[in-house]
Amino acid sequence: MPEATLAQPDVPVSKWGPIVVLAWLLPGGGHVLLGRHVRGAILGGSVLIAFLLGLALRGSMFRPQTGDLLTTLIYCGGFLGNVSSGILYLIARWFGYDQPDMAGHSIDYGTKFLVIAGLFNILAMVDAYEIATKKKD
Amino acid sequence: MPKMTLTHFEAMLLMAALISLVLGVVSKKTDRERIRYGITSFGWFIVTVFGLGWLMYLGHR
Repeated sequence: MPEATLAQPDVPVSKWGPIVVLAWLLPGGGHVLLGRHVRGAILGGSVLIAFLLGLALRGSMFRPQTGDLLTTLIYCGGFLGNVSSGILYLIARWFGYDQPDMAGHSIDYGTKFLVIAGLFNILAMVDAYEIATKKKD
Repeated sequence: MPKMTLTHFEAMLLMAALISLVLGVVSKKTDRERIRYGITSFGWFIVTVFGLGWLMYLGHR
């Protein structure tokens, strides 16, 4: 006999929406709002450190660009990664940070650190969403 | 923001440490599991980098 699956009640968007938005805008903020201060501090701190390393290494930020599949994937994906850093990305842009993409391993690592900061924040957003919807303890 | 330069190894160490930390925090349930995962993941990053480094060195001889 097949195992019966328990249908989980849907959590309304009004409950998790603001948490996910805050988690995007302020890395670690979603967890703080949920009362997970230490988790929020670790995740937010990791995003901040990765982003600051990226800036210190003079990494370049992606702008969305289309063309062949690989170009679209790299530039749009990179842009999405950069934007996912939330307020850090916005502040850097507001202050005019616009490092050209030049040859050199340091700049290259910087670019990767800037994208990784955004990817960390996406993980933090998903984590905050799962906690808010009780899919995770 | 002061300009900074890192060697390949230093950049890899920092990246490995941050990735291990974040993945450990979001993917494991208890603190013990998180610490264990973080250390194991970091160790595997180091092993992989040294392995690939030697592979590239021997491949270019």
